[in-house]
Amino acid sequence: MKLVWKLLRQHISIPQFVGFFFANLVGVAIILLGVQFYIDYKTLDNGDSFMKADYLIVNKKIGALSGLTGKNNTFSSAEIEELNNEDFVERIGAFTPSSFNVKARFDVEGFVNFSTEMFFESVPDEFVDVKSDAWNYVEGDDEIPIILPKNYLDLYNFGYAQGKGLPKLSEGILGAMRLKILIGSNDETREFWGRIVGFSSRLNTILVPETFMQWANEEYMNPNAVKNPTRLIVEVENPADERIVTYLQENGYETDEDKLDASKTTFVLRLIVSIVMGVGFVISILSFYILMLSIFLLVQKNSMKLENLLLLGYSPAKVSFPYQVMAISLNVLVLILAVAIMLIVRTIYIDCLGYVFPDIDVQGVFPALLVGTLLLVIVSVIHFMVIRNKVISLWKRKE
Amino acid sequence: MNKIELIHTLPNVFQNRTDIVSDIWNQDVTFEKGKLYLVEANSGTGKSSLCSYIYGYRHDYQGLILFDGEDISGYSVEKWTDIRKNHFSLLWQELRLFPELTALENVQIKNKLTGFQKKKQIKEWFEMLGIIDKLGVKVERMSFGQQQRVALIRALCQPFDFLFVDEPISHLDDTNAEIMGRIMAAEAKKQGAAIIATSIGKHINLEYERVFNL
Repeated sequence: MKLVWKLLRQHISIPQFVGFFFANLVGVAIILLGVQFYIDYKTLDNGDSFMKADYLIVNKKIGALSGLTGKNNTFSSAEIEELNNEDFVERIGAFTPSSFNVKARFDVEGFVNFSTEMFFESVPDEFVDVKSDAWNYVEGDDEIPIILPKNYLDLYNFGYAQGKGLPKLSEGILGAMRLKILIGSNDETREFWGRIVGFSSRLNTILVPETFMQWANEEYMNPNAVKNPTRLIVEVENPADERIVTYLQENGYETDEDKLDASKTTFVLRLIVSIVMGVGFVISILSFYILMLSIFLLVQKNSMKLENLLLLGYSPAKVSFPYQVMAISLNVLVLILAVAIMLIVRTIYIDCLGYVFPDIDVQGVFPALLVGTLLLVIVSVIHFMVIRNKVISLWKRKE
Repeated sequence: MNKIELIHTLPNVFQNRTDIVSDIWNQDVTFEKGKLYLVEANSGTGKSSLCSYIYGYRHDYQGLILFDGEDISGYSVEKWTDIRKNHFSLLWQELRLFPELTALENVQIKNKLTGFQKKKQIKEWFEMLGIIDKLGVKVERMSFGQQQRVALIRALCQPFDFLFVDEPISHLDDTNAEIMGRIMAAEAKKQGAAIIATSIGKHINLEYERVFNL
């Protein structure tokens, strides 16, 4: 093969290959950085690991008078249906409030002793992104999984514990603890254990699984309780959609504005990252063509030699091999360097992000590597086949 | 492979000509393994075409060509590769050497593929043909006669049942032509192969089984 390579490397244009190499390097590095940056940003953004991203919580405005006039602030099924029919809505779920008494006690021996009247709400399970076995209630269980508002923890840590000189509690510690919960009607109560599966900074409520809610509501129904939901959880296609704001205003609904803004930021960022990755992709495609054309030119210039090799009994596969190795090695080299560049740039931006998000929890680079490898494989397979076809076409032209 | 048959084979370019008088075109001809044939021809009678049809890189003919009774028109790329590597060897009139490689490299590029001849044997042929001093010289700097000898050595670096030599001695003096004939005949005999030589006048002196006029 050494001799064959000696023959076939004639007419290799170094400037063309250097051109390809750097263009492709830039393209692939941009793509990898885009992927990696987006993933890193997502882990930062995801304050709620168990709540899906693009949803809004919608309720009716409570005016100064509505409390006194008793004007209904619940959503009728017609209103829900109407909202559901809007284009920007992907799906919609109602908050089901508990129509029974709930009392919770929270004991940490020697430290804390809370006891409070409270309430539960539930949303359809598909809006809650917790592993199904953790977010599951079967009738007869003594344990209820619960998601608490992050505010509660902050209230304790930065208010109560700070003031009293008590130890601060992390989410992890609380997750390991259990909450005693009493539910029931006026005549009958039952004791449960609450297991905290997470804290939500986006949901300002105490969330339990829908199955539990259905069962308990049926069992301990307070006949005076309001049946229609007062809040809706709405998954939207694009939180930056102007129509959402307009629709909410027209109907006198409210949503958590800053969440809308946060979603908008995410959306814009995603858009920017997509554009940047698109640019990287275009550069990569163009550089892919440069290499393709360089190789075509090379095959053309060396066509006489290739023909002679074929006539001497070299198979098209053997004759293609040196060029295939060349193209694929270049692709591999580009990927390795692009990954190196990505890692270097990433350490720099992670450092910067570290100032803004001190508790940054850095994810691995696996997805970016996967994307890179996938690109490599696709591009290499195409190069491999095109070179082979080109050589076969030399064979065929003789006919 | 034991037998090459041409059945009413005729190059497409000759198809409208009525004045073809030939022992091969439009006839039924058989070449058998182990025998020596000479095809004499004037230039322009399709001598190189004949080689290219049988060697499978041109197909612009009518009629049939059969290898051991098999029509070759349906042969795959793999089949032809195998034939060129293991069954047929061709010394082209235009040689098809690689000018940028040395004489030895030109031979080795074939021998590395087949692994057929020992380096010692190759050097011996170089010696016999009087070009041992050209081993490391690039072919582009050699005369055509010297190149013909390199091409012959290359043609012998593979197993073959048929050796085609297309005007092999056109640029050789009589002594070298003689030596070449001897080497060819010896190698063909060793392999039990046939030689099909073409010539437009000067030809190698071998004990030809049959002489065709193309």
